[in-house]
Amino acid sequence: MDTKTKYSYYVEQKALEVTDRPRKFLEAFAAVLEHSNYSLALDTYARLSAKCGRCAASCQLYEATQDPRDIPCHRSELLLRVYRRYFMPSGTLKARVLGGFRLTDEYIDQMAEEYYRCTACRRCKASCPVGIDHGLVTHLARWLLAEVDVIPKALLVSVREQLEGVGNTSAIPVPALVDTCEFLEEELQDIYNVDIKFPFDVEGAEYVFFPAVSDFLLEADTLMGNAAVMHVTGGSWTIGTGNYDGINYGLFYSDRMLERIVNNVIGEVHRLKGQKVLVGECGHATRSAWYVPTFGGPDAPPVVNCLQYAHQMLEAGKIPLRAERIQERVTYHDPCNIARAGRITEEPREILKAICSDFVEMTPNRTENYCCGGGGGTVSIDEIRAFRTGPMGKRKAQQIRETGAKYLVSPCANCKKQLREICEDNDLDDVEVVGLHDLLLRVIDFGVPTPDQVTAPASEERTQETGVSC
Amino acid sequence: MDTWIQWLRGPVFWAALTFMILGLARHVAMTFWGIARAARQAGDKTFPYGKVLAATIQWLFPASHLKNRLLFSLTSLVFHVAIILVPIFLAGHIALWQRGLGLSWPALPNGIATALTVAAVATAVALVIQRLASRDTRVLSRFQDYALPLLVAVPFASGFLVMHPAWSPFSRDAALLTHVLSADVLLFLIPLTKLNHMVLLPTTQLVSELAWHFPPDAGSKVAVTLEKVNEPI
Repeated sequence: MDTKTKYSYYVEQKALEVTDRPRKFLEAFAAVLEHSNYSLALDTYARLSAKCGRCAASCQLYEATQDPRDIPCHRSELLLRVYRRYFMPSGTLKARVLGGFRLTDEYIDQMAEEYYRCTACRRCKASCPVGIDHGLVTHLARWLLAEVDVIPKALLVSVREQLEGVGNTSAIPVPALVDTCEFLEEELQDIYNVDIKFPFDVEGAEYVFFPAVSDFLLEADTLMGNAAVMHVTGGSWTIGTGNYDGINYGLFYSDRMLERIVNNVIGEVHRLKGQKVLVGECGHATRSAWYVPTFGGPDAPPVVNCLQYAHQMLEAGKIPLRAERIQERVTYHDPCNIARAGRITEEPREILKAICSDFVEMTPNRTENYCCGGGGGTVSIDEIRAFRTGPMGKRKAQQIRETGAKYLVSPCANCKKQLREICEDNDLDDVEVVGLHDLLLRVIDFGVPTPDQVTAPASEERTQETGVSC
Repeated sequence: MDTWIQWLRGPVFWAALTFMILGLARHVAMTFWGIARAARQAGDKTFPYGKVLAATIQWLFPASHLKNRLLFSLTSLVFHVAIILVPIFLAGHIALWQRGLGLSWPALPNGIATALTVAAVATAVALVIQRLASRDTRVLSRFQDYALPLLVAVPFASGFLVMHPAWSPFSRDAALLTHVLSADVLLFLIPLTKLNHMVLLPTTQLVSELAWHFPPDAGSKVAVTLEKVNEPI
């Protein structure tokens, strides 16, 4: 049976075979309320939801579809209704006296569809007068749905591979990882004439590196940029062969998985006697890693995002830059997971302004940015690409177009994939989506002549390769 | 009718006021108990108090948030200012407190109080019309979302007629009876409806923040409760 017949996304066959789902859903809901910190928020939201509709005006999806089910408050009400009916005394009393709403299989299916039409970007939270965090409700609803096995197959398979398979979401075995890094070292030598190493399993390193593991397959320039920054700054870092994946799709569908994956990160840092977690260019990996203090207790290693590290080093004058800056117009997309709460917004901008001659902002930006349209793990669900790059990505495509930028920088593996697909599907063929370290790499002064400087006739070709024009 | 009025603004008023205070106190107590529990359970106890406080203040005095749905927001702002100021600072109300409990405080000039009263009624009606006129809010709205603004308007409209009998098509007693009765009903409904946001609003930003501060073993405990500890993914 085609498991996409029920929802817009594929689920595993077992999801279609679960029986007695309403009871199981409510048992999971009760367990989560008992052990988590969600009950206070739900109780508060259920009591004072104002239904003012301000969130509708801030949602890029509703702006595009004008479909009432895409109003954040409308979506949150789906779960709040269940909460009121089964977990508030007034709701249970009302149901006994007057009857009315009951949780059914059909209602669960409705939630399954609608909570995956939201990217949990949390933009609407800032427009809610009573402070309802609709992204939080989506986050919780997805966990409850996961407990009755409603999980997009793309997310489930990745987490299974990470926790029960090879050990990472892209199923890259250690030998392949090592080969890839050796190839990147050769590339750095060939292009920049510099000997930069990707260190493995160095005990006692200050930083243990956790990029989105997909970068090893897809984002060579980003990783070379990361390594180059560590090289020129003399950073003590290592990649652990026990765990080299910062991706945490638990954040998108289950706190149970989130907890296990974060604990694995902490375990690897401890195994290597490292001091800090260094997260690569990935928004959700960074936000997940910010849960290290939650699960790691008082001895939890501090978490540093590579943008914060690079910015700090640039400020300290430890990243020498070539005189030539990036000449083409550059714009920046804020990944929701690092920018929405205002945690990382200025560091990337200050780096870009230092290395680019023509940096322009999208509007709005920073904490008010629009989601790339692939947040909340939806970017991994290939079968909903038309939705992601259509109604969900329409606003972002418009923003990109208005900048007139050649380079669209986003320090997030998921955002980059989504933005590339948006560009492909919205006639933005001239835009190149890159990571921030990709551009930084091009302008670092390694203090040695590059091959193009040694061999003059090759200079034009090399300029094209490094992307720097003078 | 005078007996009814005396009864409504005597024992019924005190009963409604007591019910409101106790009901709101229950909301506050439940919320603070929940906040304490969540903070105690949180694995990461570094809370961004500054940001939470800033967001709370921004929404208590929402001048910076008006551009989103500008007309609706302005209407709502005027409505809130009027319905907060008039009942507390109307000279006639202060005189009642003075007579009953010996308490008094500075009053609004009558002209301003009258203008705010008219504004309260006009904006209450405007809020309902705007709610009906916008498809976004129409699909979200429940019965209470329409009924409450109109109910709030009743004591203001009847209070205006009490203060300006020349404008009133009704007898003063009828207007006064409507005024105290509707006010009593409103006081009674405050803790039972979304009007409870008058005390909960200062806590909601913190509540939302705390929900993201997970207990370190919440996932594991849920797995144990649901007997899924050894279940393959």
